[in-house]
Amino acid sequence: MQWSLSFLLFCFLAVVHALSSSGNRLLVVLEDAAEKDLYFTFWSDLEARGYDLVFQSPKSDQLSLFDLGERAYDHLLLLPPRSKGFGPSLSPKNIVDFLNKDGNVLLALSGKSTTPSAISSLLLELDLHLATDRSSVVVDHFNYDTLSATDKHDVLLLQRPGQLRPDTKAYFDGEGVLALPNAAPHTLGDNSLVAPILRAPATAYSYNPKEDVGAVEEVWATGSQLALVSAMQTRSSSRFTLLGSVESLQDKWFSATVKTPGDGKETTTANQEFAKQLTAWTFKETGVLKVGKIEHHLAKDDLTSEDLNPTIYRIKNETVFNIEVSEYSYDKFVPFEVPANDALQLEFTMLSPFHRLKLEPSSRTENSTIYSAQFTVPDQHGIFSFRVNYKRPFLTNIEEKHEVTVRHYAHNEYPRSWKISGGWVWIAGLWSVIGGFLAFVFVWLYSEPTSAKVKKTQ
Amino acid sequence: MQLWHSVLQLSLLASAAIPTATASAWGFTDATVSVNTKGAGVGSGLKETIPDNKALSKPVALGTADTLKVTLTAQEGRAGKHAHQVFLLVQDPETGLDISYPFNVKDNGKSRLDLTQKDLPVQFLSASEPLDARFLIGSFGDADAYNGAAFQLAVTSNPDEPVPTVEVSRYGKLPEIHHIFKTDAQSPPIVISLAFVAMVLATLPVLGGLWLFLGANVNHLPTALKSAPLPHAVFLGSLLSIEGIFFLYYTSWTLFQILPAVAVVGTVAFISGSRALGEVQGRRFAGLR
Repeated sequence: MQWSLSFLLFCFLAVVHALSSSGNRLLVVLEDAAEKDLYFTFWSDLEARGYDLVFQSPKSDQLSLFDLGERAYDHLLLLPPRSKGFGPSLSPKNIVDFLNKDGNVLLALSGKSTTPSAISSLLLELDLHLATDRSSVVVDHFNYDTLSATDKHDVLLLQRPGQLRPDTKAYFDGEGVLALPNAAPHTLGDNSLVAPILRAPATAYSYNPKEDVGAVEEVWATGSQLALVSAMQTRSSSRFTLLGSVESLQDKWFSATVKTPGDGKETTTANQEFAKQLTAWTFKETGVLKVGKIEHHLAKDDLTSEDLNPTIYRIKNETVFNIEVSEYSYDKFVPFEVPANDALQLEFTMLSPFHRLKLEPSSRTENSTIYSAQFTVPDQHGIFSFRVNYKRPFLTNIEEKHEVTVRHYAHNEYPRSWKISGGWVWIAGLWSVIGGFLAFVFVWLYSEPTSAKVKKTQ
Repeated sequence: MQLWHSVLQLSLLASAAIPTATASAWGFTDATVSVNTKGAGVGSGLKETIPDNKALSKPVALGTADTLKVTLTAQEGRAGKHAHQVFLLVQDPETGLDISYPFNVKDNGKSRLDLTQKDLPVQFLSASEPLDARFLIGSFGDADAYNGAAFQLAVTSNPDEPVPTVEVSRYGKLPEIHHIFKTDAQSPPIVISLAFVAMVLATLPVLGGLWLFLGANVNHLPTALKSAPLPHAVFLGSLLSIEGIFFLYYTSWTLFQILPAVAVVGTVAFISGSRALGEVQGRRFAGLR
């Protein structure tokens, strides 16, 4: 009794505290303790959302991402180091191991100082590329803050990003302007796991302020090829976000007044809201999908529980497949809605898909949507599987595979021969032979020989 | 509150003061664009002058063996000056893909840029619409940067050579697949089947007619029934029931239903048949057959 009570209490506490769908232990790696106060609003926003923040210096001896081989933290927030790197406990290998164990990482860089080569090699593992000099900064002479960067033009003012593609969900959109001071740019590899969240405008470019010559003549990347905030989601759905400008998280820029060149009006920045969206996405408060019940059965009206999820189907059966999907949104699961131009697809495969069909929403519960599709099992027997493979930028992966056997017709399921009009000739032939045989027997038994003929043959 | 007011006033003042401070703006002069084909003589290609701070009206074609040369003098206000950013921004109006090419800038603002198709990203080579080329001229400080259309760049390709395309794999929805079923077995028109059925069934009357023509009769039936009525009736009945059992097997019965039935009826047919055939033998001994 006591056991179950304390277990219930534990569950209740866990529900109250776990706002993120994957835990609330957040390790913040901050080299200079004095810098902590610059981000006061950011920390308190995170704490208000239920995270337990642990601040550590990369030089600390107690700093370890793992405890007895398991993750010691659920999420990791790395602020740019002052020294050559993060040290041995935060080596690229450890951070990749952390990602492989479903930990989430937010790494912020700054264009003010040279990025250590250890970070550059970590980013290379994730197919994110820094400039070779690692100390470039993005400037844009068209979209800068005229109030704070009158001369250097290194405070970029950007609109909040919208949808990445017409078929993706916008997790970072909204009204307002973002200010990104001293942004360190990066480029993305040709990889379906990485996705840009915020790109530089077409007129932006990067240069190294330390080896400044009169004009930029060699560029590494320009315009929208330069990404300022990017996301990488691993196959196991752990998340890594790279933020080019750590200063944008400071209190100063959360509520700064900025003004674009030209006839721009003075506005306040939306950095606080963007930082919330960015951390919420990285630490799995948004864009997390959960699959509930999966059911498949023959398409008929009166279903009993034995009819659900049979292990065997026959070719040409009408079959219905249902999948229940929910999406985590900040603190609860809500029904998942597929973006407008996208589709949740069901594949019926044996080696390669025989059917790939759109799953349409058929009903909704309080916190899930049930998608279903009806189709005819292909006329090929074998071991098939129902597969839902839904991998999209910014959404955790859904990979479902349910195997069923497809048999061919049993001998008594074919149409009877008299239903086939082409077979009537053969049936008539058979019965006429039987009739002829019976008549022959009758005649043979009771016929009297005609004497004339008997004499002739003799 | 008062502090907030004074800040507001100050910022208003500042915003009013800025336009006067930024009187100067970046621009360009002496801009030319020329296209030279490799191997062709000097001066054979196209050469156009771009009006100051305006765009060229007609598109510039760039072939596979051509070199595009753009020269201009960057100016702040009216004086030639060297700018930090003198770029040619090439943008695909359809996809929005952009890339910038930096000019070679001298101290007096004179800048030049050479561009061939090899410098362009592969995606631009298959663009159907002419690309937008813009000049970006800007530098640090408070002078307004210049961003204006320069000309339209039409990338032409040799029709004999395939245009390189690029395929990227991104997570997204895949084309739908609907299984194509084998067509069901077809029967010939029912009229033809019925005609052949009629032909097959017509053989029975033909056979009967032929037997009658040859003298078949049932004259011994009363004799047979008089001497051995039971065996004959049972034998013929059992033959008929064997065929009846076969008919039931064809329509509904299973193999294990007909086997005992056939065994029973077969035994009956054997026993009664031997009696009936004994009677037939008796007729033959009597010289009736």
